Amino acid sequence: MIRKFLLLLSMIVSGEIANAQTNYAASDIPKNLMIRSNAVIRTHNETVEVKSYTQVIYHVKKAITVFNNNGDVHAAIDIYYTRNREARINLKGVIYNEFGMPVSKFSDKNLTDESAISDGSLYEDSRVKRFKPAIASYPYTIEYEYEQTFNQSLLLPYWKPIETTGVSVQSARFELKTFPGFSYRLKELNYAGKAISDSTKDFKSTVWTMHDAPSYRSELYSPHPETFLTSVRITPDKFSYQGVDGSFANWKEFGTWVNEKLLKGRTELPPETIASIKELVSQLPDEKSKAKKIYEYMQQKSRYISVQIGIGGFQPAKAFEVDKLSYGDCKALVNYTQALLNVAGIKSYYCIVQAGSFKRNAPADFATMQFGNHIILCLPFERDTTWLECTSKDIPFGFLSDFTDDRTVIACTESGGKIMHTPYYSPLKNKQIRKANFRIDSLGNADVTMETSFSGTQYENHDALLRLTQTEMIKKFREFYEINNIESAKISFTQNKSANPTAVETAEFTAYNYGVINGGRLYIPLNEVNSSRTINELRNRTFPVYINRGYTDVDELTFKLPGDYKIESLPENKVIKQPFGEFSVTIKKDEKSVTYTRSLILKEGNYPAEAYQQLVDFYQEIKEADNSKLVLIKR
Amino acid sequence: MKKISLFIALLCLFKAADGQDFAYGSTTLQELDMKSYSRDTSANAVVLKEFGTARISSDDKCPLIFDYHVKIKIFNSKAFEYGDVVIPVYKSNNDRYELVREIKGVTTYLGKDGAMHTSELDPKKVFRENKNIHWDLLKFAMPNLTDGCIVEYSYEIESPYVFNFRKWDFQWNIPKMSSEYVAHIPAVYNYNASLKGYLKLTKNDAELEKECFAPGGGVKADCSKISYLITDVPAFVEEDYMTSSVNFKSSINYELSDYVDYMGAKHKVTKDWKDVDYELKQDENFGSQLKKKDFFKPLLTASIQNQPDELSKAKAVYSFIKRSFKWNNRFGCYSENGIKKAFESHTGNIGDINLSLIAALSSAGINTEAVLLSTRDNGLINRLFPVISDFNYVVAKATIGGKSYMLDASDPLLSFGLLPVRCINDQGRVLSLDKASYWVDLTASQKENKIYNLNLELKNNGKIEGDMTIMSFGYEAYNKRKAIKKFNSEEEYLEDLDEKMPKIKLLKSEIKNVDSLDIGVVENYHIEIDAYSSLNQQFSFNPFFMDPVKENPFKLKERNYPVDWGVPSESKISINLTFPKEYEIVSKPADVGLALPEGGGRFITSITTDQNSLNYSELFALNKSVYMSDEYPFLKELFNRIIQTQKSDIIFKKK
Repeated sequence: MIRKFLLLLSMIVSGEIANAQTNYAASDIPKNLMIRSNAVIRTHNETVEVKSYTQVIYHVKKAITVFNNNGDVHAAIDIYYTRNREARINLKGVIYNEFGMPVSKFSDKNLTDESAISDGSLYEDSRVKRFKPAIASYPYTIEYEYEQTFNQSLLLPYWKPIETTGVSVQSARFELKTFPGFSYRLKELNYAGKAISDSTKDFKSTVWTMHDAPSYRSELYSPHPETFLTSVRITPDKFSYQGVDGSFANWKEFGTWVNEKLLKGRTELPPETIASIKELVSQLPDEKSKAKKIYEYMQQKSRYISVQIGIGGFQPAKAFEVDKLSYGDCKALVNYTQALLNVAGIKSYYCIVQAGSFKRNAPADFATMQFGNHIILCLPFERDTTWLECTSKDIPFGFLSDFTDDRTVIACTESGGKIMHTPYYSPLKNKQIRKANFRIDSLGNADVTMETSFSGTQYENHDALLRLTQTEMIKKFREFYEINNIESAKISFTQNKSANPTAVETAEFTAYNYGVINGGRLYIPLNEVNSSRTINELRNRTFPVYINRGYTDVDELTFKLPGDYKIESLPENKVIKQPFGEFSVTIKKDEKSVTYTRSLILKEGNYPAEAYQQLVDFYQEIKEADNSKLVLIKR
Repeated sequence: MKKISLFIALLCLFKAADGQDFAYGSTTLQELDMKSYSRDTSANAVVLKEFGTARISSDDKCPLIFDYHVKIKIFNSKAFEYGDVVIPVYKSNNDRYELVREIKGVTTYLGKDGAMHTSELDPKKVFRENKNIHWDLLKFAMPNLTDGCIVEYSYEIESPYVFNFRKWDFQWNIPKMSSEYVAHIPAVYNYNASLKGYLKLTKNDAELEKECFAPGGGVKADCSKISYLITDVPAFVEEDYMTSSVNFKSSINYELSDYVDYMGAKHKVTKDWKDVDYELKQDENFGSQLKKKDFFKPLLTASIQNQPDELSKAKAVYSFIKRSFKWNNRFGCYSENGIKKAFESHTGNIGDINLSLIAALSSAGINTEAVLLSTRDNGLINRLFPVISDFNYVVAKATIGGKSYMLDASDPLLSFGLLPVRCINDQGRVLSLDKASYWVDLTASQKENKIYNLNLELKNNGKIEGDMTIMSFGYEAYNKRKAIKKFNSEEEYLEDLDEKMPKIKLLKSEIKNVDSLDIGVVENYHIEIDAYSSLNQQFSFNPFFMDPVKENPFKLKERNYPVDWGVPSESKISINLTFPKEYEIVSKPADVGLALPEGGGRFITSITTDQNSLNYSELFALNKSVYMSDEYPFLKELFNRIIQTQKSDIIFKKK
């Protein structure tokens, strides 16, 4: 009797799926969902069912209508699997034409199977199953359903109904079902509704839904999409991952768990290395100079090679092994550096950070293993906290560059996890200062001497010149500057390494035909060394303006004029002041020379959406000023 | 055959046994002390020695055995990537695949103690990445790299693919002091070998090896042992605007021509075009597909029945096939799954799509042939003898009213007769079911052609208002359509265009012919330019504001390889500007007329003035697809002069 009832129930359910096709006519899509959209998610139902600490079932049913070939990418299915996500997924799908009539079916056997090793990695165990629908007429709808089992409960799928630009959502639903006693924390961002919870004696369920959400457009200088898109993240209080059990409810406990389960007992070193480190630092007076010596030893010895297998995605390779191989990934190299510092009795913290030029903070109130993509090392010297990037062979001791600057990180300290902030490099510190002399002859040729210094987060701007031979350096130098016909060049590039490093580029060269003679006049471009770009206008700017990182550029160029010409016209001085930046051009002249000074400061921060048009105008005015010329006339 | 053997035997009299692999692990202190490579002091690393040998084994199934051994001096960490090794191996299925054995590696370096140290590669640290159904990658990172160290590694590959005898790359992006390859080829196998690149072989020896091949069953054969050596191989330096580096890097490539089987029967594999023609026509994935005309007959009826002539029929078939397929981004001159199946699933590789096109055109009664070609990235074709594996693409050649049209149905935006730029690569081989094959030039049938017409008025308030028409033809029309189709609608394209030019407002816009592929795209705009905040006593106007050349794309003093521009281009600009009566022109850029030798290109400008108007006209044409390296200085100078010209302004003064 019970069996029959179940059978009937399942028939009802599948009957529903079969009928659903009539709903996929493209003409049923509300007009507001089609604005700037190349695809519309018709329905997207996800269920995450935590059955036990080692079994989580992720069920997906999705239908998406694609309007043109720009939308094809959203119809493609990519399902990743690793040691902790099963390869078996039972995919079933149907493709419908614009009227919602089925045209073809697909299943597991249509999937390709490829490795999914990220760029720059030697080996990882992650793989991907892919399906790309091939439909030549638009619009079409693809509907599919699959189920994937996870054998861990640490990394759970999260809800992000709108994932990217150009895709709107008609209906999305996310359900989290957990066994009784499974406790977790949630982070809801920009969720307008209220989640609906229900529980029975067998499970607890929470459901989030979204309806008729229009697509968004990417806008320059916008805050991170996480600040305006809806998302729900889940993190367990207690979990099991690749045979490692654990629990944490906050960052403090998280740090303790990382220390105990991932880092403990991995800093042992061979006795020879211990001996040579001891000797290396024996004559040095203080901890900081010792740490610097050790860091440079590590940089010189090792190189970055990424290998991620199973728990190895979170756990560093043993210091002993790194010592033997002289390579490792960020975790391994940080752990190795920490081990070397231990030998000299110097304390350091393993720190988890979200790296990248766009600054991202650790979510203070939401401890999760899903935060971060990089590891750096913190040396908590009294009043002089020092930070180390351990994967670069060149970066100076104590300098973090724009890869990990100015953001909060999770430091794994002896008393657990702690939120710390990496150094901030202010717009006035991020400097590029250039001084140049252009000696112009009567034919318009220029003999140039130029010196440029780079500091703060601009320190690495011309790093490409590093360790090149003179010939190669000249080639690269020509790519950096707009100036044409650079010949007989002598270039040098030096770095003054410190926690506030400076790189200096000096150049001497001749630029043939720098100025142009026409109609008895000699036209001399004033700025072919650092000219600005312009940015698109936006008719309807929706997001506030966010400038991620500020900087200062100063270019002082002196033009020595040929004796047989006199100045006919000069551009005017210019000053623009805006909340987000300042620009000025100052021109000084005497009989024989003209000095052009250009200064640009961009200030980071949040500005209202209306500031965007001012920013467009700002760049436009700069661009025009950068194009200005000095006009000389024959005496 | 006998003659050759005799020749080889004679050679043996003069040559000592040579072509030996160097000893493994024989790094010397002298090599470790090397601070730079004297022939190329800019090199971050140099291959000290590289040795490879390939032979056909007498073992079961007679696999090809390739042994590789290299020793690389690494001067500094910029070249550490040469310590990260990837060995790609191919597999057809579970029974037929390449096997890698005996991977060995050792890093030798000077310790702080000044003594020589070694670190062996741990076999457990060799990873196998199962990339996709056809490729596995064996990957390893050499341990303990330090500035000045030497890495050495060797491995053996056993391969069932004897048709393509192992190729050898003499040239890398770092220099090599010596690169030697020894091929042991049993007399029962006959290969065509071709040397690519401009380097000369330092040594090329052949000698006879008696009865080296004995696969059993009484079969015994002698081998030719052929050694190829190049010493002092320079680093390969990539230049901008060049086609595939494969064309220029020195390498040796083989294709099996014929072989003798166990029974003593000779099998031709590739010999001359006559054989190839025959084989391709019989090939299940090529000729057989071309014969499937009947399949398309009923499908085409609706599209072609009302077409008045052959050309419109052909165009109708072409759009039908374009509509019916979505290209899966894979190249190939063979059909992957058969065109019926491909047609039903609406997707396929180039072979599936264009063989369908050929069959469909033929079924509509249009004289159509197949053209095998190699794409630009794939390199140039060896035309001395047929090397089928060099080809990676096929297109249709339809002959209508004495005129031939090259057609590729993989891209819906291509107009009739326009090949994608990737196909414009030297020559292709034309194959038909009833004639002998022949070569055909793969040149651009049209130019990248654009015309700008501007009719503008400068007003007293400093604004410029007027009409702008942009006409795009040939490849330019294709590019334009592609740019427009990146947006979901024409409105979104126009909005973006307007937003891209903050100073210019598009007051009225109209785009014509976006979907009429056989005619040019025409854009009409009524524009307003915020040119000046007000008109001063004196101001300047730069007439070159449409599409200026800001930087010379050619920065090198000289060039080793041809400049490959893709397709010829031509642009014409005409600007008519009226200005307020209170002003006069006091200076204007001189007219220029520049030309490249042999009609290679032109840049012509002229400015004429009237009472209160001026007319600027410009013609810029690059007429060739490829400029040889001796034409390079002229090309570079042409761009230089264009930039010069565009730097000067028209100067207005109040009367």
